[in-house]
Amino acid sequence: MTYVLGQFPNDRALLEAARTLRAEGQKNLDLHTPYPIHGAEEALGLKRSTVPIVALIGGVTGAVLGYLLQWYTVGYDWPLNVGNRPPHSPPAFIPVTFEGGVLIAVLSIFLGLLFAYFGFPRVDHPVFEVEEFRSASIDGLWLSAEVSKEEGAAVAAALERLGAANVSVVDREGT
Amino acid sequence: MSTVPKTAPEQDPLVAAPVLVGRPDDRALSESLLRPVLEPTRKGWLALLGLLGLGVAFWSVCLYEVLFKGIGVWGNNIPVAWAYDITSFVWWIGIGHAGTLISAILLLFQQQWRTSINRFAEAMTLFAVAMAGSYPIIHLGRPWLFWWLIPYPSVNRIWPNFKSALPWDVFAITTYATTSLLFWYLGLIPDLATARDAAKSRARRIAYGIMSFGWRGSARHWQHWRIGYLLLAGLSTPLVLSVHTVVSFDFAIAQLPGWHTTIFPPYFVAGAIFSGFAMVLTLMIPARKVFGFEHVVTERHLENMAKVMLATGLMVAYGYAMEWFIAWYSGSPTELFAFLNRVTGKYQMVYALQIFGNVVAPQALWFPRVRRNVLALFLIAVLVNFGMWTERFVIIAVSLTRDFLPSSWRDYAPTWVDWGTLLGSICMFGFLFMLFLRFIPAIPMSEVKELRRELEHEDHHAARAAAQGGER
Repeated sequence: MTYVLGQFPNDRALLEAARTLRAEGQKNLDLHTPYPIHGAEEALGLKRSTVPIVALIGGVTGAVLGYLLQWYTVGYDWPLNVGNRPPHSPPAFIPVTFEGGVLIAVLSIFLGLLFAYFGFPRVDHPVFEVEEFRSASIDGLWLSAEVSKEEGAAVAAALERLGAANVSVVDREGT
Repeated sequence: MSTVPKTAPEQDPLVAAPVLVGRPDDRALSESLLRPVLEPTRKGWLALLGLLGLGVAFWSVCLYEVLFKGIGVWGNNIPVAWAYDITSFVWWIGIGHAGTLISAILLLFQQQWRTSINRFAEAMTLFAVAMAGSYPIIHLGRPWLFWWLIPYPSVNRIWPNFKSALPWDVFAITTYATTSLLFWYLGLIPDLATARDAAKSRARRIAYGIMSFGWRGSARHWQHWRIGYLLLAGLSTPLVLSVHTVVSFDFAIAQLPGWHTTIFPPYFVAGAIFSGFAMVLTLMIPARKVFGFEHVVTERHLENMAKVMLATGLMVAYGYAMEWFIAWYSGSPTELFAFLNRVTGKYQMVYALQIFGNVVAPQALWFPRVRRNVLALFLIAVLVNFGMWTERFVIIAVSLTRDFLPSSWRDYAPTWVDWGTLLGSICMFGFLFMLFLRFIPAIPMSEVKELRRELEHEDHHAARAAAQGGER
């Protein structure tokens, strides 16, 4: 696996470089910035995020489980007569149903993002091989392209032509 | 020829203070905001941490008394079974609400001034909820059996009663604590990566590297991160309203005069936000001075928080007025007596402090001069903190001292263990907060950088509009 990295002076040049490389047929492009850049999704051709669907499924599952838990425990398995209210009393079950929905939705968003969407924890990504890449979380605007070993030099030249500084090629065997 | 000035004069009182002083570049922002984390340990910080550590040690002594001798070491009795413990529980959980309000509700309303204070307020929420959570557990009497609250299949065969407000509390507070923690941490990951990359020592790089999970600022990650962060805010918004509503149900669904009121849910939520903003101001005013955050936490932030405090304070005052009205209008002699007892009874001074701290003192915030005076603001915030604690005490303990039957009336007096558990929990809260300020980036750097870009766009458009206006 070979990565080509370059740093750009401003977000206009960064997005322009991403668009140009994508038009030239590079598919595995990524930007690395200290904060989200407007227009990055469009420049990289990213699809709409599916996180809301995960949240919806989690929320509905949590609410249903929360309700079933209450119905099974105090309405069916061991009915308790408190103040002669019916064992299965929906109005009293609303708070826990709501909290259950929120809890599972939140857990599925957080754990889903971290482990499924981001593939974390991953502290050995090839981009970290470049010392200058430390600026990507401070003030640097970086572009990375995952290419085949033969293409490396050509893409590096293209990045320099598009105005990148600190252009580096990272080769990593086997990963 | 028109003589319209190109920019408003700086002293114009109608132009609010900026949300960000100057337009520092990204590296300067990172450096100034990471300084408390990366600089060598300060002596003053260490001294204050040590002092709070002594308080924590005293707290441990009090907890030892409670856990090993039983809750008889408190002044609680029958009928006053709930006193300092539950008062402090409700107080702490209310304080937590400002963090979620700032980070979630103001995010959804796109309020720019939330950006530099949200992390700080969320950390306050986490620690306040942790302190709140300790009280119901130590109050259980047999705290080693607290897990009986969780519905799991056991040989006891019996389940928690989900028609009671107390199991709702367990679910509401567990969900709230989890959501606050995850929301806080999700926002923190990019900043922990900044700390990792800016740190000089190897140990710090490894520690922040592990904590940031290998965040590389990827555009593919930012896309999902933004959506996930917004969704967490959207879920936290109804959640924060539900938590204090459920807490108020603990009282409102009981029959006791002074508790049995339908206004409790909204009135508790307003009081929660009120006390939470007071606590944010109490902590933020010294911290911004000591750590040099004055360029990102400006007069504008303090003034806006003061305005929220004034507004929620008025809602709380309305709640007090409505309680009195309903006590009279209900025609119930016990209900009216419960309220007259607050004014004429043994605890009238506590009620006076409540009214002074929550209703009288915040009225000074109508004046812009007071809102912009840091010292006055700090004093009012501290008074509100006191006032809100006394409010919880008056509602909970004073109502319990005088219920329906005069034969069961009994007064309440706190013991040293009561005082120790309260003051000790405040020290523990401060201790955790000091650790947070030292080891975690307290101002969200990635969000401030994004805010700076937005402000630059606005400056640019304003300048262009002014130039066009001048030509015409």
